[in-house]
Amino acid sequence: MALLELNKVKKIYQQGKIEVPALRGIDLAVEQGEFTTIFGPSGSGKTTLLNMIGCLDIPSEGEVKLNGDEVSKLSQTELAMVRRYNIGFVFQAYNLIPVLTAYENVEFAIRLINHSKKAQIKDKVLKMLEEVGLKGLENRRPNELSGGEKQRVAVARALVKEPKIVLADEPTANLDSETGAEVIKIMVKMNQELGTTFIFSTHDPLIMKYAKRLLNLKDGMISGDERR
Amino acid sequence: MFAMKLGLRNLTRQKRRNMITVMVIAYAFFAYLLMDSVMNGMEEMSFVNIRDLETGNIQIVHSDYWEEREELPLENLVYLDQDVEESLKNINGLSGISPELRFIAYLNNGIDELPVLGLGIDPDRYQEVFTTGEYLVDGLMFSLGENKGVLGEKMAQLMNLKINDYITLLVRTKEDTFNTIDVEIAGIVNSTHPMVNSGMVFVPLDIAQRALNVENSVSLIAIKVNPGYEESVTETLNQNFKGKDLNLKAYSWRESAETVIALSTAKKSGIGVVLFVVLLIGIIGIINNVVLSALERTEEIGMMKALGMKEMEIVSVFMVEAIGIGIIGGLIGCLLGAVGVGLLTKYGFDISYAGDMANYGIPILNKIYGIWNFSAFYFLFILGVIVALFSSIIPALWAARKDPVKAIYHR
Repeated sequence: MALLELNKVKKIYQQGKIEVPALRGIDLAVEQGEFTTIFGPSGSGKTTLLNMIGCLDIPSEGEVKLNGDEVSKLSQTELAMVRRYNIGFVFQAYNLIPVLTAYENVEFAIRLINHSKKAQIKDKVLKMLEEVGLKGLENRRPNELSGGEKQRVAVARALVKEPKIVLADEPTANLDSETGAEVIKIMVKMNQELGTTFIFSTHDPLIMKYAKRLLNLKDGMISGDERR
Repeated sequence: MFAMKLGLRNLTRQKRRNMITVMVIAYAFFAYLLMDSVMNGMEEMSFVNIRDLETGNIQIVHSDYWEEREELPLENLVYLDQDVEESLKNINGLSGISPELRFIAYLNNGIDELPVLGLGIDPDRYQEVFTTGEYLVDGLMFSLGENKGVLGEKMAQLMNLKINDYITLLVRTKEDTFNTIDVEIAGIVNSTHPMVNSGMVFVPLDIAQRALNVENSVSLIAIKVNPGYEESVTETLNQNFKGKDLNLKAYSWRESAETVIALSTAKKSGIGVVLFVVLLIGIIGIINNVVLSALERTEEIGMMKALGMKEMEIVSVFMVEAIGIGIIGGLIGCLLGAVGVGLLTKYGFDISYAGDMANYGIPILNKIYGIWNFSAFYFLFILGVIVALFSSIIPALWAARKDPVKAIYHR
């Protein structure tokens, strides 16, 4: 059984009286541990597809299954619970909380699912920050970190709760190529060490270079699916 | 717990806006506490003046006199016989008895004439009930049998009178014939009660009784009681009068002070309006703050939703922030209020510019002193926090119900 299954998923946005199809019937299966990249031109539906996979949005038609359970018909609260326990997000704009330190931003994600003792959580958060190369920067706030460091915090935040899938929407778009490469290498390492499934949407050829599977999206449909 | 930590930490964001909201709430609290203190001070001073300078705690009158007491009739007076004296004896809590003969008089200084309230008193017994003697600014109180009188400083100035001058009081006797009381001014008082200062002339009771031809009768008997005994003494007196078949009744000072009590009731409504305005200011400030914060943090809200936070968890983050603003604003407001009330209780608030307060039915002269009303501090602070909590719910819910996709990508 695939970790993630999308069957004939369509998404239609209503703009006034006009219906705008963003996804036109996606069939997709993603296995545990895959390192998948979705690429395609702007407006091809990459972000919409990522939102469906991430349970941030529900399809107009079709079904989304996570671990065999259909999630596309759940309520908002139930979707929130699915996201909380199963999915990690990395955003292009990092989306860190500016009043929290790097440590607290990561702690925030794990506190939602883990009610262990503070010391245990602390060990886990510090270990994750060390893994992404932020040892010694735990007490810095986002405005005291570089773009690459911020994105590493975001990666640590996404991974610390050990989700089944990490979704990253153009994670290197705001970074220079060298910093972008460092961030991607961290994700590759996590994929290999933890077996976490990664799904990216990107234009960045660097990410495509590391991807084990490339999905080409065009006009809301998968026009190519290449495994390496 | 993390929501609380985040909410509190968010207080350090948008410092200027948060500070403005805090100061607006603090100022509203400060203004309310000051007004409450002045109003309560005014009420307390009015009541003290009425009790200590006008009516005593209890007034005993003939049952038919009470309704017409404002016209100061010489009918239906209290005849001071043995039965009346015995009715007043051995009552627990009673600390002073002062018979008074009240009458209309025209004060004549040889040139001008002025209508006044004449008071025939027994000075020794009068001082058991009233504090007027403490306000003598010139001369002394007279004794029974002396052809002497005491009047207020304002009236003395108006009539150009001073100690040892002679005045004539033109009065109508019980039989409606004219008579005069000629007295030498023995003392001049300047009390905190405007009526005493500008409208009363005190003369010995026996002199007044003779001039008005009322024998041993008085208009009323003023009673002073120890604190907390007012009700029981009134009840005992009325039982005694009933037992001796006397047509007398004891009335609390509150029944004589209807105007001031009506003003006090109106004051409470006025304070209610002020309280409503204060809370409205707080509500608008908090709603404005939460809405602006939610708009600025749209992407952050999107991220929280992506992380799997439920609506109520996001709401609680904003509510903690709003309550924090309410608590800080309330504390600063209470602190400023405490300083303001402290100054008001010490130095008072000059109302002389507003003219004679007696004209408005308020028996206070020149200055109003504030009083401490600690319950107003607790009440306002707790109410402020509760209002902050409730006024933040709707805008916080609005923020938490944002579509996560639109929130994340709102730019």
